[in-house]
Amino acid sequence: MRVSFPHMGNSYIPLSALLSNLGAEVVLPPRPTSRTIDLGALHAPEFVCLPFKVNLGDNLRALEMGADTLAMVSGMWACRFGYYGRVQHQILRDAGFTFDSILLGRDDLGSVFRKFRNTADGNLAAAWLRAFRVFRRKAAAVDAIEREARAKRPLERDRGATSNALEAGLSQVHRARDTREVDTSLAEGLEALRSVETDERDEPPLQVTVLGEIFAVLEPSLNFDIERTLGESGVATHPVLSVYRWLMRPLKMDLGITLDELRARRATRPYIAYVLGGEEHQTISGTINAARKGHDGVIHLYPFTCMPENICRTVLPRIEEEYGIPVLNICLDEHASPTGVSTRLEAFIDLMRQRRKSAGGRSTSLERSPG
Amino acid sequence: MVKVGVPRALSYYRYFPMWKTMLEGMGAQVVVSEPTGRVLLEEGVRHCLDDICVPVKLFFGHALSLKDKADAIFVSRVVSVEKGDSDTYTCPKLIGLPDMVKGSLDGLPPMLEFVMDVQNRSLKASVKSLAATLGVPPSSAKNAFESSLEVQARYESELLRGLAPGAAMSKVLPDGNGSRGSEEARDTSFHRDPLSIALVGHDYLVHDSFISHDLPSRLNKLGAKAVLMSEVPDSVIEKETARYPEISWSYEKELLGAASHFLGRPDIDGVMMVIGFACGPDSIIAEIIAREVRRPESPPLTTLVLDEHTGQAGVATRVEAFVELIRRSRNKR
Ligand code: SF4
Ligand code: SF4
Repeated sequence: MRVSFPHMGNSYIPLSALLSNLGAEVVLPPRPTSRTIDLGALHAPEFVCLPFKVNLGDNLRALEMGADTLAMVSGMWACRFGYYGRVQHQILRDAGFTFDSILLGRDDLGSVFRKFRNTADGNLAAAWLRAFRVFRRKAAAVDAIEREARAKRPLERDRGATSNALEAGLSQVHRARDTREVDTSLAEGLEALRSVETDERDEPPLQVTVLGEIFAVLEPSLNFDIERTLGESGVATHPVLSVYRWLMRPLKMDLGITLDELRARRATRPYIAYVLGGEEHQTISGTINAARKGHDGVIHLYPFTCMPENICRTVLPRIEEEYGIPVLNICLDEHASPTGVSTRLEAFIDLMRQRRKSAGGRSTSLERSPG
Repeated sequence: MVKVGVPRALSYYRYFPMWKTMLEGMGAQVVVSEPTGRVLLEEGVRHCLDDICVPVKLFFGHALSLKDKADAIFVSRVVSVEKGDSDTYTCPKLIGLPDMVKGSLDGLPPMLEFVMDVQNRSLKASVKSLAATLGVPPSSAKNAFESSLEVQARYESELLRGLAPGAAMSKVLPDGNGSRGSEEARDTSFHRDPLSIALVGHDYLVHDSFISHDLPSRLNKLGAKAVLMSEVPDSVIEKETARYPEISWSYEKELLGAASHFLGRPDIDGVMMVIGFACGPDSIIAEIIAREVRRPESPPLTTLVLDEHTGQAGVATRVEAFVELIRRSRNKR
């Protein structure tokens, strides 16, 4: 079985581990580029949201590379995402490709489980257990390395040093074959990041919360690698979503995540009273929390026509005002221009610097007057 | 008497008879916004984000147009409409509508929110809280609720007979839908070769004659009878949708079921899907209909995308071309 799946940030690392430990050969398309997006957009319905097009592009490239099985989660979410796999696979079949589908939904876990009957080594249940352990360990390792890089980047002396160490660390984790190797590569990766040289700064970096639709936040090809761009401009970023959270949330195995989700829902209710099926609760509560933590600003990323985030977008100005925190909304589609986005980022950074200055050094939102 | 403004948009087309009867039964006077016009649409667009679907922009325009005409604006929050064991809901924007209105529109009279969430809350409970807001005693609320359900049932049976919402409202409400009736004549008998073309799309698009550029009567003038999806009974929709993997959006399920029904009906000459620009659910369902539902032997299927920029000429050309195509393929047979 030559299996492939679409990219979302660094999720390919734990997902590859899961599948290869089940005996499948993983066909990993190159990280999405504008070519991927163009390819996907060519075959996708015109009005569908951008992540659909990127995923479809990933699938097309994987099929070119010889994948014979495509995997996708499906049906678990209220939004369009729940139908992605079903529609994408049909589009690809109509375009003449033949392949096997693995649509991982809540209803049909059994058949997904059994798909690997012929590929897994020895006992199928034991193989799943082993695969899952490596998967989880890798997801946590990726998360830890990303965090370290995020903290380091705004302070680095040589531009790009952090990103290089990050890449090296991640590829070590990706190559690790078992949990022991994951642990070693994690330790080495963290060590390499810690030894990236830093500069003394007169004042602490600007602190920015990044939130919005999950692909827009986590997939650098969609957001023009915003985390790196900001970091290298001396801004510390704090995404409220992560690959780890995305992977672990449906499994309900991490109590911290489950509780945080509940808290986020509660904080959102006064603004959006019902569940919309996207990340709206993380967007709303993330903005409020950013203000509470005294962050300098919030960047809200979402794909063109994204339903839940569009609703958030109409609600955010009220929170901006009530909590006195600036929010930059960035709407992304396949025509968004990198220069347009970076000009807006620069202006936003200026605005945050200005605010900090006029507030007299580092302040918390509570000290600021609203507005 | 408190004047309650009801925007002529979105769920108005489905539930207005119930809402009106209910509100009047509670002693309110109901004011409906005028049918969509250019100024109203432009106002809506101006207060809305670019990439929001045109029906929500229309809703904003209608709500704003009621600003000085009502003491309160009625805004529905339609969350779930199907009882039953599976998880179904409407579109995020219908669920979040009051939140969006609150966030985007300033200077509106107070909002009267009405929740329809039959999976989690009885309609009766929603009516009760509406009555409490209006300061109406529970007993008269109860009567109002009962008669509103009655009127709504009559309305729905008129729709099942094939009437368009406006015509059906005139039948069941004492003073109609509160506007000059722009009801399309649906008599195609003058034409020597009448066609039947089914329209599959949200009622708030198809029946807003400004945004759809009079689609049903336009077809009519071309000698094609517009067959509306509201005349397909629920039982048929259920049966049809059971043939496909599940859809959780109730209204999209209707589109799927109706399309599947029409595409298999020998007396239907063509099916026109009417979708709104930037409509999230439609972008998925249109694809599912075109790829999973359409068969080689199905009658022609086309998609008409409507937005605030679609000109009359654009729609006219598309519709004429479609009718022409059907006629030609019929003559060949
Ligand atoms: S959350 Fe936004 S981007 Fe994701 S599926 Fe829904 S509409 Fe598309
Ligand atoms: S179903 Fe489509 S047209 Fe209707 S409110 Fe939702 S996004 Fe808008």
